[in-house]
Amino acid sequence: MQLPRLPPRTARQLSSGRLLDVGVILGATALLGVLVVRANVVLNHHWDWSVIGTYLVRTDPATGAWEPNLILQGFFTTIRLAAWSLLLGTVVGAVCAGLLVYGRPALRWLSRCFVEVVRDTPPIVLIFALYFFVSSQMMPLLGLQGDLTIAPGWLRATVAVVLAPPDRINDFLSGLACLALLAGAYITEILRAGLQSIPRAQTEAGYALGLRGWAVFRLVVLPQAVRNVLPALAGQFIISIKDSSLVALISIPELTYMTSEVSSSTQRFFEVWLFTAGLYFCVCFALSVLFGRLERRWRRA
Amino acid sequence: MLIRRGVMTLACALLLFTLPARAQPAQGSTIDTIVKRGTMMVGMATFVPWAMRDKDGKLIGFEVDVATKLAADLGVKLDLVPTAWDGIIPALLAGKFDVIIGGMTITTKRNLTVNFSVPYDYAGSSLAVSTSLQNGFKLDALNSPNVTIACRRGTTACSNAAEYFPKATLRQFDDEAAIVQEVLNGNATAFAASEPLPSRSAAQNPSKLFTPLSQEQELNRLPAGMAVRKGDVDTLNVLDNWIAANSKFLRARRHYWFETQDWRSAVGG
Repeated sequence: MQLPRLPPRTARQLSSGRLLDVGVILGATALLGVLVVRANVVLNHHWDWSVIGTYLVRTDPATGAWEPNLILQGFFTTIRLAAWSLLLGTVVGAVCAGLLVYGRPALRWLSRCFVEVVRDTPPIVLIFALYFFVSSQMMPLLGLQGDLTIAPGWLRATVAVVLAPPDRINDFLSGLACLALLAGAYITEILRAGLQSIPRAQTEAGYALGLRGWAVFRLVVLPQAVRNVLPALAGQFIISIKDSSLVALISIPELTYMTSEVSSSTQRFFEVWLFTAGLYFCVCFALSVLFGRLERRWRRA
Repeated sequence: MLIRRGVMTLACALLLFTLPARAQPAQGSTIDTIVKRGTMMVGMATFVPWAMRDKDGKLIGFEVDVATKLAADLGVKLDLVPTAWDGIIPALLAGKFDVIIGGMTITTKRNLTVNFSVPYDYAGSSLAVSTSLQNGFKLDALNSPNVTIACRRGTTACSNAAEYFPKATLRQFDDEAAIVQEVLNGNATAFAASEPLPSRSAAQNPSKLFTPLSQEQELNRLPAGMAVRKGDVDTLNVLDNWIAANSKFLRARRHYWFETQDWRSAVGG
């Protein structure tokens, strides 16, 4: 496509505007540089990043093959926690939002209670409550951990890859349940806002076209609702990934817990924590990019 | 109708929460459970050199040696359960593991919630102070509102610091690395911790830190015991007698981990 030629004055305005942008970016970079230099002066710290490599991968003494060491193990656990808690949280959120908008009064009330209890109490309390009551008292009654210890090897291996090592599955599940409930409560409100943002006229138009109730919801309301709340949903997903670090409090060996183990053992506090921050950034940024793409695609649709 | 359904739901929820209390009777002693299970589960937190991670990510340290020998003598496998120090006693009470072997000093307050074996080790809490105070240093200088002392939350060193220097500000962290760094950065004047951390940090950063107390005049020296759930005489008896019978082994291991640096290359950083 041929762009119309800009008149000279507009071009000059444009270039001065660009100069301003360049200035702002240079300024920000300089500020960051000063901060880094200052931090180095104040810290008086001898940086030694070799500790990262050591605790990232190790070589198996028997076979000589590479395998994940503490930091990478923690990273994988965080990914598992995040993936499952987002999946379950979305299911919980979708069900509760559906109940809030379309449910009968008792269900609406229950759903509202759930959201308010989870949202208005400190997550740490929820984590400890689930850990000490559910994981320590109720899970053993279910006997899952005991069943798994006598389960065939392939099942144990699968559980270890998909969830957590079978002999620590109760703790993992209680941490996961907590993260899923937390995410679920916030996602409920986001999805509710989405569903309620669709004007009634849309539903009525759907009916006028001869669609039935479920079809109207699936074809007319839902796509628009989700599209409207996509940015908020992305924010909540990113928060949920970072919230997974809360379960370090109950010693679930995810990234934050492993990082504190390594930093305590080696006294390489800054190196290890900065690296871990970088790992969290990578995951969250990837999610951010993914949602950005989704948003653009659905806007076109 | 609706109200009744709500009440029923509530009742079910309540029942679920009260059920476990009844479903967990006193099932004999922990030591029986350990032998029957064939595995001893030991809770410990990372404290150099009691328990820490070597380059392969495995737990090593004084406590690991103690737990390994104890399990071997009992004829069971050992399952080490790394646990955040902050919640280690609740985790023991909740049955997450059988015993804490984690450099836990015997204090009266802790003794109200758990039972301790006879001491198998001791931990002395001491100080490392910023060299800015080194000229004509007196211990009293730390008892001032201008002083900030860093320590690890829930440790005996923390309560000792609060006791001896009531006017100073106490800043508590969740791990050891942070309290050392806080003094190195100049945000705190001193840190209080179990030896050998203070003397080792001072040796590593002679221009920044010094230890005002020699090993003989620590802030406090407290016995360390293995902690088990209360009211379990059988388990305590086994532990006590094991400790009495292994004094030579314990001394040798203490020498290796606390007085030599031979293990240092096993840990990265």
